[in-house]
Amino acid sequence: MADVETLGILEEIQVLVSVKLQVVSYKWLSRNFSVSSNDAKRLLQEFVEKHGSGLEVIYTLSGYLKDSPQIYHISLVSGLKLAEVKQKFGDSCSVQVYSVQACIPSDPAALWNAEFVQAEELFDQPSTVENCLRDNRFCGVSNSFVKRNASGDPGSVAPQPSKTGLGVTASSKTAGAFPAGVVPQPQPQKGRVQQPSPKLGLQASTVVSTDDKTGKNAPVVHAELGKPHTDKATTVPADKKKLQNEKTSSGAGGSLANLWGRASSKSKPSCPSAETATVVTNPIVTADAQISAREALDAASSDDDGQYSRKRESNGEISRKRRVVFDFSDDEDDNENVVSLASPDLPKRQPVLDSTDETKNLAVEEKKLNFEEKKGEKLEIKKQKTTDSDSRAWLKVDSEAASKNINTRISSPEKIQSHILEGLEDQHKKNQASDAAHTSPKRKKVLRTRIDERGREVTEVVWDGDAAANKNTEKNAAANGVENRPSASNKGPALGSTAPSNTAGKAGNKKMAKGSGKDSKQGNILSFFKKV
Amino acid sequence: MLELRLVQGSLLKKVLESVKDLVTDANFDCSATGFSLQAMDSSHVALVALLLRSEGFEHYRCDRNLSMGMNLNNMSKMLKCAGNDDIITIKADDGSDTVTFMFESPTQDKIADFEMKLMDIDSEHLGIPEAEYHAIVRMPSAEFARICKDLSSIGDTVVISVTKEGVKFSTRGDIGTANIVCRQNTSVDKPEESTIIEMNEPVSLTFALRYMNSFTKATPLANSVTISLSSELPVVVEYKIAEMGYIRFYLAPKIEDDEEGMQAEAQPPPEKKAKKEPKAEAEAEAKSEPDD
Repeated sequence: MADVETLGILEEIQVLVSVKLQVVSYKWLSRNFSVSSNDAKRLLQEFVEKHGSGLEVIYTLSGYLKDSPQIYHISLVSGLKLAEVKQKFGDSCSVQVYSVQACIPSDPAALWNAEFVQAEELFDQPSTVENCLRDNRFCGVSNSFVKRNASGDPGSVAPQPSKTGLGVTASSKTAGAFPAGVVPQPQPQKGRVQQPSPKLGLQASTVVSTDDKTGKNAPVVHAELGKPHTDKATTVPADKKKLQNEKTSSGAGGSLANLWGRASSKSKPSCPSAETATVVTNPIVTADAQISAREALDAASSDDDGQYSRKRESNGEISRKRRVVFDFSDDEDDNENVVSLASPDLPKRQPVLDSTDETKNLAVEEKKLNFEEKKGEKLEIKKQKTTDSDSRAWLKVDSEAASKNINTRISSPEKIQSHILEGLEDQHKKNQASDAAHTSPKRKKVLRTRIDERGREVTEVVWDGDAAANKNTEKNAAANGVENRPSASNKGPALGSTAPSNTAGKAGNKKMAKGSGKDSKQGNILSFFKKV
Repeated sequence: MLELRLVQGSLLKKVLESVKDLVTDANFDCSATGFSLQAMDSSHVALVALLLRSEGFEHYRCDRNLSMGMNLNNMSKMLKCAGNDDIITIKADDGSDTVTFMFESPTQDKIADFEMKLMDIDSEHLGIPEAEYHAIVRMPSAEFARICKDLSSIGDTVVISVTKEGVKFSTRGDIGTANIVCRQNTSVDKPEESTIIEMNEPVSLTFALRYMNSFTKATPLANSVTISLSSELPVVVEYKIAEMGYIRFYLAPKIEDDEEGMQAEAQPPPEKKAKKEPKAEAEAEAKSEPDD
C-alpha cells in the first residue's frame, strides 16, 4: 500500500476517532477503505504508534493460555490491561490492534456498533452489487463457497470512505429492504472456526476457542446472533429455533463470553447470519455445512431448553416437596430448608400430599432405622407404654418407628392441622441439635389443641417432661457426649412447656402475620398509646 | 390555603421512601408548627411519626389546620418525578380534594406540577406520652441498618439488650444464632459516627426484625439513629431530618411470656463450655432434670 494512501487513511482515522468519536476497528477500516484486514490492522498499529497517546486502544490477544495450553484463546483487551492479560498467555501470543477509540465504551457492544452499521449498509446494497462482504474479500478465513474477488474493482466496493459515521447510521435505519443476500461466510459453522490462525485476520468478533468450552460459547453466540438476523429475514425456517436460542442464551447471560457474544450480535451480518442467509438465497451451498450448523444450534437449544425445563420442573418439585415432606433423616441442612420453606397456610393440600410423600419417606426411614438402631427398639417400647398410659392428646407412637421424630411424623398425616406440621418442624429443629435428642425419651411431645383468638383450632406439639425416662437420658448422655446441647435448647420447653414452640413458632406465626398482620406474641402499639 | 416550599426536595423524597413500605395511606397534618404525619402500619404493631417543622421550609403558609389523606405509594410515585436537587412546593386549597406538588429545577428552567387526589382516611391519632427511657442508644444509622439486615437473614426477631457493656443485638434462627455487640465509642472524630449509650437501667426487649428493617429505610435521612428502649414501652427508632424535624418509628415489643426460653437463648457460653466437658455437663443436666 502506498505511503501516501496510508497517510491519508491515518488522517481519516484521526478525524474519526477524535472528532466523530467513532470506534474504529480494523474490520471497519478494512471494509471502509477496501484494504485487507491484515493491512487494516497494520494501519491501526501504525496509527496507535503515531497518535495513540490520547486514545484508548483495544488489542486482540490470541494464543494459547498458560494454564490451558490446548485451548486457543482470543481475547479483546484494553490497553491498560494488556500487560496483565499478556501474562496469562504463553510465550507466543500475537498482539494486534483491534480498535482505537476516544474512550473505552462502557457497553462493550459499542465496539461493534460502527461495524454493525457498516455491515448492515453493505447488506442493504442491491444483491447485484459486489461488495467486500459478499465476496469475502478481506477475510482472513477463506470460504470455499464464496468466490473471492480480491482483485475486484474497488470502486464497486462498499460505502465510500467519506460516508462514515453519521451518514452510515442514518441510512442504516432503512435496513430491511433486503434480507441478507449471498453472504460470504468466514465461519459458517463451528467446525470451521476451530483452527483460526492469529495471523489470519479473524473476522469473527466472537471469542473463539477450540475446546469443549466452544461447545458452550459458540452456540450461545450463534443464538444471540440469530435475533437481529430474524428481524431481517423472517422467512428463514430456522428462525423459531433461533429465537428460542436467543432467549435461553440471554437468560444464561452474565459471563464475559456472553457479553462479547451479545455485543457481536450487532455485527451479525458479518458472519453468523450467513448460516441462514445462505439457505435462503444460495441453495448451492452444500447441505452438510448447513446441517452441521443447524445441528450445533439444535444441540445448543435443546441443551438449553432441557436445562431450563429441568430447572423449572425441579423447582416446582422442590417447592412442593418442601412444603410437605418431612424427611427426618440425618441430613440436617435439607431439613432446615424443609422447615423454613414450609408454608403454614396450606392445610387443605398438605395432608394429602403428606400422606403420599411421607409413606414413601417412611419406608426408607424405616428400613434405615431397622438396620440402624437396636437400642431404638427398647426406647420404642418404653414410649409406647407411656403414650398408652395417657390417652388424651398424646402422640400415637408407631411401634415401627424408632425415634420420636418418626412418631410425630407418622401422626401428622392423620392430624390435618397444618399447625401440627409446624409444630413438628419446630420440635424437629430442636431434636436435630444432636442424635441424643432423637433417642432421648426423657421428654415427650404432646399434641395440645386449643382455639386461638381468631377462632381457629390450633394443634401444637409441645414438650412434656418425662421423668421416667431419666435413666435413658443418662445412658445416652454417657454414650453421646453432645447430650447437653439439645438439652440446653430443650430446657426452655421443658420448663415453660410451650416456650420452644413459641419461639420457634414465631417463624410460622410471622409468616401468618405477613398475611393477616397478626402475631400472637407481637405486642400491639395500641396497648401502649391511647387514641386521642 | 396551604403552601409549603421545601428547598431541599430530596428530603421529602427520602421521607416518603422510608415510610411508604410501612404505611400505605396516611393523613398529613399541616398546622402552623409544621407538616406532620402519624400513622400505624396495618397490623397496628408499628407507628411512624414524622415532623417537618415550619422553620425548615423556605416558605410556609398554612392558614388553618389541614389534614390531607394521601396514598403514600401514589405520593411517592409523584415525588419520584422530582429531581434530587429540585425545590418542592406543596400546595392545597381549602376545601379542595387535591394537593399539588410543584417541582422546580434548581436553575428554574423546568417547572413541573403534579396534582394528586386526596382521600378520606379515618385516622387513629394516638397520643404519645413523653417518657423517660431506660436506655438510649445513638449509633451510626448505616451500622444499625447493617445489623438489622444481617440479623434478619438469620432470624425473625432481634433481642436488643442494653447493658453497661454496650448494646447487644442478638437473634436466633434455624441455622444458628447471632450476637452483635456495639460498645460505646465516642472517640471518633466525627460525632455522627460515634456510638453513645445512655443507660439508667439495663433493658432487654425482643422485636420483629421485619419492622426494624423497614425502619432502616430511613437511613439516607440521617447519619445517626437514636434507639430508645424502655421495658414497658415500644422502642423508638428516631432519625433526625436535617435540622427541621424527625421521623420516629415506634415498635411494640414481642411479648415474652417465657423468661426461661430467653435465658437459654441469651446464654450461649455454657453450651460452648459444655462441648469441652460433655460428660460432667450432661450429668449435671440430668440431675437437675427432676427439678423441672
